[in-house]
Amino acid sequence: MARLELDDITKHFDDDGETIVAVDDASIDIDDGEFLVLVGPSGCGKSTTLRMIAGLETITEGELRIGGRRVNEAKPRDRDIAMVFQSYALYPHMTVRENMSFGLEESTDLSEAEITERVESATDTMGISDLLDRKPSELSGGQQQRVALGRAIVREPEVFLMDEPLSNLDAKLRAQMRTELQRLQEDLDTTTVYVTHDQTEAMTMGDRIAILNDGILQQVATPLEAYHAPANQFVAGFIGEPSMNFFDVDLEGDSVVGDGLDYPVSDDVRAKLDTDALVLGIRPQDIELVDAVESGHDVAVTVDVVEPMGDENNVYLTFSDTAGNETFIANVDGRTLVDEGDDIVARIPEEAVHFFDRRSGEALRNREFDGDADVDLSL
Amino acid sequence: MRGKLAAYLGRLVRRNRIRADGGEVNATRDSGLVSDEFTSSLPYWLPPFVVMGLAVYGAILWNFFLSLTDSSGFGAPDYANLDFEMYARAFADPVFIGALRNTFALLVAFTVLCLVVGLVVAVLVDQGIRYENTFRTIYLLPMALSFVVTAQFWLWMYNQQNGLVNIILGVVGLGPYEWIGNPSLVLGAVVFALIWQFSGYAMVVYLAGLRAIPTEQFEAARVDGATTLRMYWRVIIPQLKGATISASVVLMVFALKAFDFLYSLTGSYYPPKGSDILATMMVRQAFVANNRAYAAAIGIMLFALALVVVAPYLLYQYRAGEL
Amino acid sequence: MTDTNTSSGRSWRSTALYAVLVLLVVFYLLPLWTGLMTSIKADVLATAPFLPPAPAGFTNIHWTRAINALAGGLVNSLILAIPATILSALLGSMAAYGLTTLDWRHQVPILMLFIAGIFIPYQAVLIPLSKFWASVVPVSDLVGYVGLAGWVGDLIGLILSHVAYGIPICTLLFRTYYKDFNGEMIEAARIDGATTHTIYRRIILPLSVPMFAVTLIYQFTQVWNDLLFALVLVGPGAGAPVTVPLSQLGASLSEVGFGIRMAGAFVAALPTIIVYVLFGDQFAEGVST
Repeated sequence: MARLELDDITKHFDDDGETIVAVDDASIDIDDGEFLVLVGPSGCGKSTTLRMIAGLETITEGELRIGGRRVNEAKPRDRDIAMVFQSYALYPHMTVRENMSFGLEESTDLSEAEITERVESATDTMGISDLLDRKPSELSGGQQQRVALGRAIVREPEVFLMDEPLSNLDAKLRAQMRTELQRLQEDLDTTTVYVTHDQTEAMTMGDRIAILNDGILQQVATPLEAYHAPANQFVAGFIGEPSMNFFDVDLEGDSVVGDGLDYPVSDDVRAKLDTDALVLGIRPQDIELVDAVESGHDVAVTVDVVEPMGDENNVYLTFSDTAGNETFIANVDGRTLVDEGDDIVARIPEEAVHFFDRRSGEALRNREFDGDADVDLSL
Repeated sequence: MRGKLAAYLGRLVRRNRIRADGGEVNATRDSGLVSDEFTSSLPYWLPPFVVMGLAVYGAILWNFFLSLTDSSGFGAPDYANLDFEMYARAFADPVFIGALRNTFALLVAFTVLCLVVGLVVAVLVDQGIRYENTFRTIYLLPMALSFVVTAQFWLWMYNQQNGLVNIILGVVGLGPYEWIGNPSLVLGAVVFALIWQFSGYAMVVYLAGLRAIPTEQFEAARVDGATTLRMYWRVIIPQLKGATISASVVLMVFALKAFDFLYSLTGSYYPPKGSDILATMMVRQAFVANNRAYAAAIGIMLFALALVVVAPYLLYQYRAGEL
Repeated sequence: MTDTNTSSGRSWRSTALYAVLVLLVVFYLLPLWTGLMTSIKADVLATAPFLPPAPAGFTNIHWTRAINALAGGLVNSLILAIPATILSALLGSMAAYGLTTLDWRHQVPILMLFIAGIFIPYQAVLIPLSKFWASVVPVSDLVGYVGLAGWVGDLIGLILSHVAYGIPICTLLFRTYYKDFNGEMIEAARIDGATTHTIYRRIILPLSVPMFAVTLIYQFTQVWNDLLFALVLVGPGAGAPVTVPLSQLGASLSEVGFGIRMAGAFVAALPTIIVYVLFGDQFAEGVST
């Protein structure tokens, strides 16, 4: 088991003499036994980061340490890592047993008997003992996935690297494997870096999540911190489903004013807003639908579309007193009955409101969290 | 032009490396891994590259210099005195001009007709027929045969006394013709035999092209009310451009190599009168008349001819990301 | 329009389709059939060429003579084609691995040189090639030192020539195949600790078996069928591959010689026909790449 440290890691690609920065100055310390999820949209640099840890890409700048040892120049085989790929990458001409022994044969001096024993113990753990003599083409997607995981754990590496390992499974199996993977990681207590673009996986699996965008690390935090105290507007919008609603507003006296919105802010909140150009953010789950305007935090709205999801409804709203048809979403209980065209009132509670600097995107004020004062934003 | 090509190829390399999740930036790797991967790849491609490079490009270079000498007979060529005399001689030589004309005629007629026959047969085979594999196998069979073998068969087919071609034409009151002996007929006869041998190849290529077109397009065209003929003409055939190009290049190269066939018709370096092409003329000049430099010049011109056909094709293939 | 109309229209069309397809079968097989019938006729001019001989007119003399005339050539062709085919396939697979699976900068221009090599007209290299084996590396003399006849040397030169000129097409065939391999599989092997060499030996080679079948079959046919190199590098004589004597067979006998010519054509083509009938699909794959 080992600590994994990324120290100012940068990756440049050369494109026709033009330099493309794929990962810019990323620093993450991953504790021994920690499960870290790297998440971000396509092209954000998360796979590149993982491949640099694996040794499949070179590191342009910075230092990578596994267990305190610098491994920038080490070949993949000398890094004591195992990786699970999106396509599983099983060797099609080998049986499950051969697939799992391959790495031990190539990278260790274990005797044949020891290899057999380790392979069988790993297949026991993964519940695939009865598949040992099958070839990958004879296995279902879920079974191949288990073999791919088994091939990684049989190596007993210091670090597991996983590149979207569940994205080829159907939704039901994916949910099931998610839990199983978590349990497995807890049992083995192996440091794990897990890449995904699926924020549900990020939220449910990681001890901490690292959010990347455009090659730049946005925030490293526990899932709850990232949700309730996002470091910036990107994280706020990326984490959470449906996405946080954003309104461009300007600070005018005691209120923030935007298109269709005139929202009074308390002194406490205003003290944190050190600029006038702001973005107000509110999660759909925090908006309440009420019948009448009772305070300045209530806004008259018209129901545009209702998406019933069963246990909840996504209600698309527009401000009643503007001509614009920009919508925002309220996520309410499934039994709340509203219809398209209804004129109702949306309540935006001040304790749940986020404010971001419109230019830098930096979070100036996050919602109240744990009943305590605002969470420390430093990384 | 060269810079453009290099930049283009560079883009191509990178495009191939775009990863499954869509947008991942994955351009060329930088120094460390490159040199590593390069060094470890050397034992694999360098030995075949050296062998092939010497055999192909080394020999062409040597041949080119030889073509600039005046070497003939058994004396060693004098490489000190180089000029383009042999090329000038070629264009003043009526035999060369005739062979050149025949080469072009063969090239064009053979390629075009082969493509047409191949396309028609491919469309027929693509109608969801039973025993498709058997039909396909039979149509492609002649291609597996040697030019030497097919030349024997067609010599007999074209025989004036008891050849099947004349017998069939006799039924409708034509002939008999002296197909191989008549200088104005022999080239046509050769083209026909070669079409018999290679149209199966064009069929296989077209069939692969047809199979690559999604079934929905056939169905959509039908729903749009197109007749079968119009559907093929307006929807399907335009999409077979790639197949047409690659098939015609390979066919042209086959046609340039038709030496074996023409040699076997007579069993000598002198093909039937009226069917001399550059390929046969070159070998004759080299190994019968011993005009080495002259033969080398003809070889270089054949190479140039192949280059004119192949270079744009390779570029096209790269552009399509096929190679 | 009623249903009966449509279905009868359809069945008419389908009948016409199969009629055309069968006519095409006749077209493609007729020269071979005619040749076969002629090869077993005592008098090739006695009946129409495509008709079988009358019982009294049957003879196997053409076949016996053809086999006698070509037996040496057949053996030479086998000695030539088998090693040449295996060697070029192996070298092609190695080159394709080094230029496809192993991924480095500027490999595309190198690859282009390989592929352009497929389309070289042999006339452009013929004189240097014959000079090379005659004076630079005079194999026919060299084998004399180990007590072998000159034609063995010629044959070795011919084998190596076919290997060299077969490399480009073999490289392309394997390249197309390797390009579709899952890149993550190779990376997984690398993380599993495999070296470049073990990846080739334990992953790429075992997975190449189907492509080896395609390449071997295609290349075998090409080498077996060649006349030009055989003629120039070996010529008629003890070392000649079967195409050389076949091209001369019966030529001096005019019409009467067609019996032996047809029989000879079949004898010489038999190995390729057998390979084709057994592995037609692989051959089709080879040509359509």
